[in-house]
Amino acid sequence: MSKTEANANRHNVQGNHACALAAIAAGCRFYAGYPITPSSEVAERMSLELPKVGGVFIQMEDEIASMGAVLGASMGGLKAMTATSGPGFSLKQEHIGYGILAETPSVVINVMRGGPSTGMPTRPSQGDVMQARWGTHGDHTAIVLAPASVAEVYTETVRAFNLAEQLRSPVIVLFDEIIGHLVETIQLPAPESLQLIERKWADAPKEGYLPYAAGDDMIPPMPRPGDGYRSHTTGLTHDESGFPTQDPAKAEAMLARLINKVERHRDVVDAADMMATEDADILVVAYGTPARAARRAVKEAREQGIKLGLFRPITLWPFPERAFLAAAKSAKRIIVAEMNAGQLLLEIERIAGRERVSPLLRFDGEHIAPDEILDAVGKAA
Amino acid sequence: MTPESTNANNNDRRHEIRFAGSGGQGLQLSAKILAYALIGEGLYASQSQSYEPTSRGGLSRADLVIGPDEPDFPLATAADFILLLDQVAANDGAKIIKPGGTIITDQRLVPSPPSGDFRLLALPITDTAIAIGNPRIANVVALGVLNALAALASREALEAAVGALTPAKFRELNLEALKAGYGMAEAETAESAA
Repeated sequence: MSKTEANANRHNVQGNHACALAAIAAGCRFYAGYPITPSSEVAERMSLELPKVGGVFIQMEDEIASMGAVLGASMGGLKAMTATSGPGFSLKQEHIGYGILAETPSVVINVMRGGPSTGMPTRPSQGDVMQARWGTHGDHTAIVLAPASVAEVYTETVRAFNLAEQLRSPVIVLFDEIIGHLVETIQLPAPESLQLIERKWADAPKEGYLPYAAGDDMIPPMPRPGDGYRSHTTGLTHDESGFPTQDPAKAEAMLARLINKVERHRDVVDAADMMATEDADILVVAYGTPARAARRAVKEAREQGIKLGLFRPITLWPFPERAFLAAAKSAKRIIVAEMNAGQLLLEIERIAGRERVSPLLRFDGEHIAPDEILDAVGKAA
Repeated sequence: MTPESTNANNNDRRHEIRFAGSGGQGLQLSAKILAYALIGEGLYASQSQSYEPTSRGGLSRADLVIGPDEPDFPLATAADFILLLDQVAANDGAKIIKPGGTIITDQRLVPSPPSGDFRLLALPITDTAIAIGNPRIANVVALGVLNALAALASREALEAAVGALTPAKFRELNLEALKAGYGMAEAETAESAA
């Protein structure tokens, strides 16, 4: 922690820096990346912090190589991370898919800016919600976390490493430019108070070892390099031996296990925040900066006697459907506020039905203000 | 009222402060110093910024939302105080002033100050900085004026924050700039009370 951030044990920290500090506290010891606005401060801070703890920082030649290096470092036994924004996130997708199939723990930070293409580098956006879900090809799971404050960037980055280790999967942390560049006062948790999860290492007999054989939890332990296990890793569909197969039963079993291992652990994956939902006539669904605007809107609406509530998914994917259904029970109208042309909107319409759902969308590079939410509520009431 | 009499520590109110001028004037640092002083007093500050991709010139803006806990919405929407140090910031920068709020402008660099439902104080901030010895400390003179009028952080906490966040070789100069800002605000308060 830098001296100019801390006063009386309280800290004024930028969102991107909080991400880097949390990664270090979570045990991340490898970073490979290619700087891109508005995420560059994550890389900058990692380059300062990693050498202090004996970690490795590499600025790679591009985003594709960065993601490759992160997966390689993770297979080598380190907790590893990269950070990027929209255009770089597109480039990383091929290797994110490899990480999902080869079950390689890793954390990918995407600080969202306006798109498509190079778009508006310094302006906020939430245009990568569907890219985070479906950016890589093929049927796959995605674990995507969406913090709404600097304090939550810290806690969700720690949680991303825990989920990556526990579930042997890439985990994406998605936040908008405003959260990335916002400086907020946070109380940093004592490192010893953090609950950190480490991946399961293989300890089965080496004879007949099957690197992708999983137990009841559906997560195969990883062979630690140097322990002497013979293992094979591929991006091709494989069986428990790790070698490619096109046997239909084995192919289906592999993909079903990858999907079900996340479903099996929804109790630790799902996270959502509810505010005044019990008796809400109108429910706002928002994440990231728009959720902060919604918090104020809910308080102001309640003062006016309007029964407004907020459902804020902290885990975006898989969408915390069960918590949402409970929060939306009494709502006659649901407003989805997001800084894109309607992405999470599709998921909410799927769950709640189109007739109950109204969009409040901005994709002009500006944030959604509390008054805009109140206006939309006024129209819906 | 004396400037220290309504320290934000003692009540529940939220304050929104905007620092606006041109790139290179040190306004991001002014906001950072104030936020640093405030968190030492147990408050929460959310600082957002906006600037154009040039290192000198172009609009530069730092906003602080201050309160007893994490604000629901971290961006400024109705500023109690706005500091304007350059004409380039005078139009857009003043839009979010709260009715009855205070806008402090630099006499030399904002020749056409905004007008409206707010108290306008046009003060010789840059001229004072030049008189002390360096126009580049105008941001700290302005910070002194602002904090004295807005009564946000205690003077001791602000002095300590200036000491912590500015280079050692300019520390004395910056503390002198802060003192000059306080003096200017006190003269203004005495004048409006008379």
